[in-house]
Amino acid sequence: MLDPVAGRIERYMDLLSARQKLVASNIANADTPGYKTRDLDFQTEFQARLEGLGPRVVEPAGLAARNDGNNVSLDRESRLLAENALRFSVASQLLRAEVRAVRAAIQGGRNV
Amino acid sequence: MAAVGAIGAAGVPVQPLESAAAPAAPGFRNLLEGAIGNVERSRGEAARAVDQFLAGEGGELHATLLAVQKAELTLELFLEARNKVVQAYQEIMRIQI
Amino acid sequence: MSLFTLFSVSASGMAAQRKRAELLVENLANAETTRTPEGGPYRRKDVVFESRPVETEFASLLASLTSPALSGVRVAEVVVDPREPERRYLPGHPDADPGGYVAFPRISPAEDMVDLMNATRSYGANVAAISAVKDMIQRSLDLMR
Repeated sequence: MLDPVAGRIERYMDLLSARQKLVASNIANADTPGYKTRDLDFQTEFQARLEGLGPRVVEPAGLAARNDGNNVSLDRESRLLAENALRFSVASQLLRAEVRAVRAAIQGGRNV
Repeated sequence: MAAVGAIGAAGVPVQPLESAAAPAAPGFRNLLEGAIGNVERSRGEAARAVDQFLAGEGGELHATLLAVQKAELTLELFLEARNKVVQAYQEIMRIQI
Repeated sequence: MSLFTLFSVSASGMAAQRKRAELLVENLANAETTRTPEGGPYRRKDVVFESRPVETEFASLLASLTSPALSGVRVAEVVVDPREPERRYLPGHPDADPGGYVAFPRISPAEDMVDLMNATRSYGANVAAISAVKDMIQRSLDLMR
């Protein structure tokens, strides 16, 4: 009974959660020799109709590596951390609004 | 709320009293059972989602909560519809008297 | 559910960076230590990090399919500086050898200070990750309001 957009918002939140977990892994391994930054191809994953299976993990290009092979940029990961959390918050608000709207429609007939 | 009727003394299935007195459209019983089915289904999905969450299996927290919300909404819709039906029935009964 | 596993990832990062910071502080405190119980001057210590997969509470095939692989971090080992100590000519020093040379630790306080700042920054980033996840869990719970 929720508008189909609710399903897309939920998928969006799934991807944000998955991405945030990778960001946390990157931050934890910011000083691990040889560790390569991991990420999702967010746009592609959001458009792909992957039911049930998790998104694929990729190694983003364009990151400078240190002598020990580690290419984690704390600047990048910190920025993504904040962005993902914010987007998640927005998506949650949108879903709440959707649920409220349906509930209002259900109860709207009450005093007719 | 199964729709199985009682078996009377003669071996003939007896209709439950409420449905015999209900304002009857031919498909009303089916409509009611269909709506109840929806509620049961969404509550079942919500229960499954919660079980999965408790077991630590797949799915994210927001998916579980959303399933619970959908079940609540389905139930609410059903209750509002049922209330409307009861109201209409009572008005009809008043008219007859 | 699996947002919660993020806690152990970030907690492992915090623990590793804290260990790193501890050793750096020890290095800085002993930058001029010429005498140790084991004999000889203090030797600089360093950490070696290694990533380790996070154990989910309930390792199930479904969970591993739906979540991307998570790596925490652990301190694989603590290495002691194997290089020859630095020798300075200080004939009057109590630890001077017959030739008047004293063995000092090979520590550059400036380098280790910078390293300590980096460890602090990394530690803070792990704390921020935990905070971000707590916020996301809270937003999920808001769906019920």
